[in-house]
Amino acid sequence: MKKLLALVLALVMAMSCVVFASAEEATSIAVCLSSEPDTLDPALNSAVDGATMLAHLFSGLATWSTDENGKLVIVAECAEELTEGVVNEDGTVTYTYTLKDGLTWSDGKALTANDFVFAWKRAASTALGADYGYMFEVVKGYPDELAVEATDEKTIVITLNNAVAYWNELLAFPTYFPVREDVVASEAWATEAATYVCNGPYTMSDWAHNSVITLSKNPNYFKADTVTMDKIECYLSDDANNMLANFENGDWLLIDDVPTAEIANLKVNYPEEFVIAGQIGTYYVCWNVNEEILPEGCELTGAEAEAARQEIRNALGLLLDRNYICDEIGQAGQVPASSFVAMGLTDADGSEFYKNTGVSEDFVGYYNTTVEAIDANWDAALTVLEKYYTVDEATGMFTNFPAMEYLYNTSEGHKAIGEYLQSAFAAVGINMTLVNQEWNTFLNTRKDGQYSIARNGWLADYNDPICFLDMWTSFSGNNDVQYGKGAHADLAMYNLDLTAFGYDIKVENGTWAETYDVLINTIKTCTDNEARYAMMHVAEDMLMATGCIVPLYFYTDIYMIDDSVEGFYSNPLGYKYFMNCTITK
Amino acid sequence: MSSKMLFYILKRVLLAILTIWIVITVTFFVMHSVPGGPFVGEKAISKEAQAALEAKYGLDKPLWEQYTTYLEDIVTRFDFGPSLKQRGRMVIDIIMDGMKTSAKLGIIAACYAAVLGITLGAVAALRRNTLLDKTIMVITTAFVSMPSFIMGSFLLIIFSTKLGWLPANGASQGGLILPIITLGLYPMAYITRLTRSSMLDVLGQDYIRTARAKGVSGGKIIFGHALKNSLIPVITYFGPMLAFIVTGSMVVEQIFAVPGIGRQFVSSITNRDYTMIMGTTIFLASLIVIMNLVSDLLYKAVDPRIEFD
Repeated sequence: MKKLLALVLALVMAMSCVVFASAEEATSIAVCLSSEPDTLDPALNSAVDGATMLAHLFSGLATWSTDENGKLVIVAECAEELTEGVVNEDGTVTYTYTLKDGLTWSDGKALTANDFVFAWKRAASTALGADYGYMFEVVKGYPDELAVEATDEKTIVITLNNAVAYWNELLAFPTYFPVREDVVASEAWATEAATYVCNGPYTMSDWAHNSVITLSKNPNYFKADTVTMDKIECYLSDDANNMLANFENGDWLLIDDVPTAEIANLKVNYPEEFVIAGQIGTYYVCWNVNEEILPEGCELTGAEAEAARQEIRNALGLLLDRNYICDEIGQAGQVPASSFVAMGLTDADGSEFYKNTGVSEDFVGYYNTTVEAIDANWDAALTVLEKYYTVDEATGMFTNFPAMEYLYNTSEGHKAIGEYLQSAFAAVGINMTLVNQEWNTFLNTRKDGQYSIARNGWLADYNDPICFLDMWTSFSGNNDVQYGKGAHADLAMYNLDLTAFGYDIKVENGTWAETYDVLINTIKTCTDNEARYAMMHVAEDMLMATGCIVPLYFYTDIYMIDDSVEGFYSNPLGYKYFMNCTITK
Repeated sequence: MSSKMLFYILKRVLLAILTIWIVITVTFFVMHSVPGGPFVGEKAISKEAQAALEAKYGLDKPLWEQYTTYLEDIVTRFDFGPSLKQRGRMVIDIIMDGMKTSAKLGIIAACYAAVLGITLGAVAALRRNTLLDKTIMVITTAFVSMPSFIMGSFLLIIFSTKLGWLPANGASQGGLILPIITLGLYPMAYITRLTRSSMLDVLGQDYIRTARAKGVSGGKIIFGHALKNSLIPVITYFGPMLAFIVTGSMVVEQIFAVPGIGRQFVSSITNRDYTMIMGTTIFLASLIVIMNLVSDLLYKAVDPRIEFD
């Protein structure tokens, strides 16, 4: 009988343990950022969803965090502190970092300065061919002779070509995360949980390809006690409707995409959970600078003809109602853009760069995007166009504007904007047909300059306007406008005067390569922060004067997050952070 | 097995190899003639890096050499190479990964489509022109004419969003129920209609009347004679259908976030992931060729009158 009693008691105890354990059950959050990432190798990743996962799996020298007021800040992570650089005689700047004590990899091995050095050299190398290899462009010796070394187990010394305002931000960027040589020796290391070794708040506990990636709290992480979320399940779906269905039935607590057609409803039905966050990026239309838009029989040639084309392109940009595009087509809180460098990037004094651009005291940017200005913009545009084109008196339409093609990549949203542009131009008699191409073909066509006008967009990789400006040098791989290429290469019509900034550079009637390229190179090596930003404004002025870049709106990042989630934050690059989340329901 | 049949199988296998070779060749050259490439992205990498990657994957060699190397790797080592986009993963692994789910989904869907389809078709034929027959016909007409993306979205909204009975993603076993239903509805409806018309045809044949006259029981007539003989068109349809359904449906996989092969196939094309395009194409083509062969052989088993030539 006693035996039986003991057995029953033991059973009760065991049961209560089970109950107790389940009350203490690990907290987990299910989210969906995107579909299967191409890679989760920090050096190779170039996607925002991949960067979010990497930010949970790895720790760089610095990281994005929030201060006590909830403001986003960049703080030291693996580094003891984010030191100031020392300027060398040749103008280069050397930074010395000391690693914190006791840092380890997820497999328990010690993390050393050499791991960082190895990772950086690897990521920057030509041989790896990483999309984001150019993030190391600021480092001396880029790409294959990076000036970085580990002077001992814990000290990293790195030399930059010049002082870089956004250097700490780069240190928090996934491309700068450490990897270990023996781990990455096999290229397959980052494709499954078993071989994935990392050093961040989480480890990868499972990767069911195309289905779900599970991140579990890393007990070896040096700040493991600050991590409140034990498990993150990143579901992989490439369909916004599917994401929404999973959000609505409560399975996924955050989804990073919603169907465009549903935005209006979601705003009403989920006023708290539908979030519009800032994102540093510009949606714009670009012209092929070599596209002839002057009427047939026009006698202007060379620089004069290009000056006329500049005026015409700028005038056509004024015909567009950007508020309509944002409110009726985009519907996701996009901001009408009147400059190319996106909202969210800061100026030398910490103010918004885009607010300090432009030509007038009355409005921000290069033209007035307010609803009140629509009529005035329209009239101003017509005045310019009437100088060059014939107007049919009866209809008020221009009759000899050459037919154009608008190229965009297949998507309902891009198509809707294309149709709006088409109708805006048709209102003055300009005939524009729409051509859509599948993404990869589109990229190729646009890069090769086989188009007249094309849809375009650019997202910042770090908080510095240079990432919007250096893409337009004549030798840049992203120069879709074809500045300084083809016939434009020989047009000597641009002026550059940098004497005010202490440089002996003054060019009159130079080519694009002699002016813009020189300007960008000067900015990149400039160590005087104020002069540097002032010159970036000069660069944007040059770009916008060409009329080849027609900004439409500044991007926003829309996502949905369940109201039971607390402690969540995201950064302006669109990375989402779950490590400090708790679930209240 | 007769020597005639062996000869027939040998001939068909050789023909299948020829077909697959043609598929490989056409796909290879068409794929390379499409603009764009695997290393083209919104943000351009340097020319040197691009060249380094092309050299690494052998894309810098003349097209003809790439083609012969590719064929050689497949034939001698069954090596489909690494994916160009999903760095570090081998094409064969990605296909096998996707096939695990797609095959499971496809086989279950095909089985329920066949069982339900044949049963409903036979019932409809036997109860010809009754209310039951008409109901079955109306429903199957609806399923045959409704595209899977509508059917799938419809099921998703009802059973997942509104009722909350089943998950809306294929990461768990429960999440595979809705995609299986969606996948199988069309073939089920089609098989129902095929069975019904073929059964009606058979039931009107002389030998059935003879059997009836001889006093054979109703059950034996239906299962022993009518049904067996009316399955020939179903078999013709079933083979290729199984191949198609097993190799995944991009639409269904997308709607329900199912980790199958169909999505891979489509995304490999958008990404210009050359090795993945080739791998999936060869795989799908082989499956269809094999299934066709199997269904042709099955005719013989069902209807001994069919001769191989």
